Amino acid sequence: MPIFWLTFRQLIGAKRTMLLASAALLPVLLALVFRSGGDQEPAHWTAQTLLAQFVVGTMLPLAALVFGTAALGSEIDDGTAVYLLSKPIPRAAILLPKLAAAVLLTAGFVLVATIVSGAIAAWGSTDGAAVLVGFSVAVVTGAVVYCALFMLLSVMTTRAFIAGLIYVFIWEGVVTRLFTGTRIFSVRQYTLGVADGVASVGNDVFKSDLSAASAVLMMVLVGVGATLLAIRRLRRFEIGETA
Amino acid sequence: MSEAPATSSIYDLGYRRYDGVRLGRRHAVAALYTHSLRTAFGLGRPATAKIVPIGLAVLTLLPALIALGVAAIASDVEIYSANGYYGYVEVILALFVAAMAPELVGRDQRQRTLTLYFSRSLLRVDYAVGKVAALTSAMLLLTLVPQALLFLGRAFAWNDFWGYTQDNWQDIPAIVGSGLLLSLTMSSLAIALACYTKRRAFATGGIIAYFVISTGVSAIVANTASGIVRKLSLLPSGFHLLRGFTLWMFDVTPTLDAQGNSNGPAGDLVVAGLDFYWYAVAAGVAIAGALYIIYRRYQTVAA
Amino acid sequence: MTVDVRREPQAESPAAPGQYAIEVTNVSKWYGNVVAVNDITFALGPGVTGLLGPNGAGKSTLLHMMSGFLKPSSGSVRVLGASAWQHPDMYRSVGLVPEREAVYRFLSGWEFVLLSAKLQGLKDPEAAARRAIHEVDMESAQHRATGGYSKGMKQRVKVAAAIVHEPQVLVLDEPFNGADPRQRLHLMDMLREMAANGRTIVFSSHILEEVERLAERVLVVVAGRLAASGDFREIRRLMTDRPHTFTVRSSDNRRLASALVADPSVFGVELGDGRVTVRTSEFLAFAQAVARVARTADVSLFELLPTDESLESVFSYLVQR
Repeated sequence: MPIFWLTFRQLIGAKRTMLLASAALLPVLLALVFRSGGDQEPAHWTAQTLLAQFVVGTMLPLAALVFGTAALGSEIDDGTAVYLLSKPIPRAAILLPKLAAAVLLTAGFVLVATIVSGAIAAWGSTDGAAVLVGFSVAVVTGAVVYCALFMLLSVMTTRAFIAGLIYVFIWEGVVTRLFTGTRIFSVRQYTLGVADGVASVGNDVFKSDLSAASAVLMMVLVGVGATLLAIRRLRRFEIGETA
Repeated sequence: MSEAPATSSIYDLGYRRYDGVRLGRRHAVAALYTHSLRTAFGLGRPATAKIVPIGLAVLTLLPALIALGVAAIASDVEIYSANGYYGYVEVILALFVAAMAPELVGRDQRQRTLTLYFSRSLLRVDYAVGKVAALTSAMLLLTLVPQALLFLGRAFAWNDFWGYTQDNWQDIPAIVGSGLLLSLTMSSLAIALACYTKRRAFATGGIIAYFVISTGVSAIVANTASGIVRKLSLLPSGFHLLRGFTLWMFDVTPTLDAQGNSNGPAGDLVVAGLDFYWYAVAAGVAIAGALYIIYRRYQTVAA
Repeated sequence: MTVDVRREPQAESPAAPGQYAIEVTNVSKWYGNVVAVNDITFALGPGVTGLLGPNGAGKSTLLHMMSGFLKPSSGSVRVLGASAWQHPDMYRSVGLVPEREAVYRFLSGWEFVLLSAKLQGLKDPEAAARRAIHEVDMESAQHRATGGYSKGMKQRVKVAAAIVHEPQVLVLDEPFNGADPRQRLHLMDMLREMAANGRTIVFSSHILEEVERLAERVLVVVAGRLAASGDFREIRRLMTDRPHTFTVRSSDNRRLASALVADPSVFGVELGDGRVTVRTSEFLAFAQAVARVARTADVSLFELLPTDESLESVFSYLVQR
């Protein structure tokens, strides 16, 4: 528990929070633009454009990247990680509370953005509530997997941030669009799969590329796998003069 | 007068003064430029610093190489047009400036080496010019080399190299012009963001966030809003801006899909309906604004 | 002649062999093809040991291996009988003060030390933290954020966090950096007292005077190798191929000088400033000869001082060799 609160206080630092809070306003702004002049079906626009394309496609991975790589990575960078690593506690007890703090903050930000902007955009539409519930569950599960993945990156390389950006925008953004077979290795696609499964709305409103079952299975595999690998890596973490 | 016993003395350790020619400001700028250009590709730095820039540079070549490979095996295959090429690599180019701009300007602030530069014959403005020029040159390599490959590849695929070149030579100014404007826009915007923070993660994240978020927001607004908001919606978007002036320089109008909807960034530009030359104007304004911000920063930054 | 560092340390420590708090056996550490630590062997028992060497000599690498933060490329590092690498349980009885100044800037000194106590799983973390903060004399500033501390204050609060669980072994990397002279003395007293209570303390420093004043034993690391270990005065005597310098004051300096020149153990004499400066290559032979020569020449000796017994001269000799 002390490590959880420590990480929470580290991550909630003024600059970072202000930037993310202003980013969380963007979907709300988009929803307002849509309300003032959009001519598409509200539930479809909310699911397909606002939530799938913008919130899940851009905001969720960016927020997870910021918190996931900072939770442990910034401590390794500035040298304070030594104070945690020199304690007689299992390495999992260092990593897991940090992961929990990163997930809580990521999910918190994205969830608020999802609910507020989604409610504005889909107000009065019959499928609106289902879409909102589906995406709310999806962004929370997505936050867990993304954070676990980025945390693993942060114990593997000092350039975790740029590596994560490359994964999100080149792999998930470009490669999985060109080669559809690679979608099974995209956290974005898992998140959308969960959203579709939970919302269970008609295909004309929202349809994901992965089935809900394979999305959940892959989420568990990737999330647990990344966490275990990160713990294993932390056990063997070497702090030298260069670190 | 008797000499006092020598209790203190200065020893000659053999240090020598520099008696050679001092080359002055122009050479200092040139040296800074060369050094920064090398840094942009991780040259002269450890192998781990080379992975990201060299890897991204190779990735910008990849679509051209794939296209040429396909064209070499099968004939009559349409290779990407020169004006559409940036659509495939814009994310990679954005990642490159996001990764390398903080490397060029952030390190000197983080490690307090800025003061060493400013105590030489280099002026503060020279430092800014050298850094922007270096990143722009690096970006030019990343844009023009694939374009050159593509041009040559198409020329060879045509079976009549000189015939192709004669027919398409008017593309060359557009290729060079769009490459230059794109490199200058992305580099100056990236350095304007990066020079305000020492923290690499903040700078990288800020640059990427600008390109990706502005593009996402603008695309959605262009396809949702109407009237003047729609018309102007793509001007703040990093990627749409680049695409817009590239299309203007090549004098091409993209087509929409069968339902008359946008099928990507080029389609968004048609949907928004603003004349494409405005994007070149906007890029000019963005460059001027970014250079002014950089200039202001280096006039006041504590060295 | 050189000090044989491979030899098991002599009975300078009360513990029996195999019972040393820290045992480093044939340890090397290399990064790619750069060797940072090259085949070092030593064992340490209770008391204060100073680790000395120029920058880049491998001191920090060695301390990091003793702290369990680096895996030796070959050889073994054992702390309190167990391998230090991948063994977090050892931190129950080991305290570490890292060199880097970084602290959690948003925590107060009290919160920082308390965090350490809690993570150590102590029964009464508040009491332990209070005691540790009292030890380092930081009560007055304990409720301020550590981000605003001076270098010396950060250093003291780091020491407090490291001793909060009263460890058997304390490893400090450059602990006196940034401390003012009063704090330095205070910390030295504290370490000496801990050592007197049977704890094993290892610290690195580049300030020779600190090592000389605090350490009972020194380990001199040069270019990744152990150049010397043990009591530094003893090391000094072992290096007989190096000229020793003495200053002598006597009833008749000029006569004594001329008499000493004739002695085979002496190879240089200098007169001036009310004393004779004598250079010799044989420490023991000279010590015996000087009294005999003085008696024969009928000169009274007032004072006989070795001039370069300081650690600095030992050190620079070892480094230059």
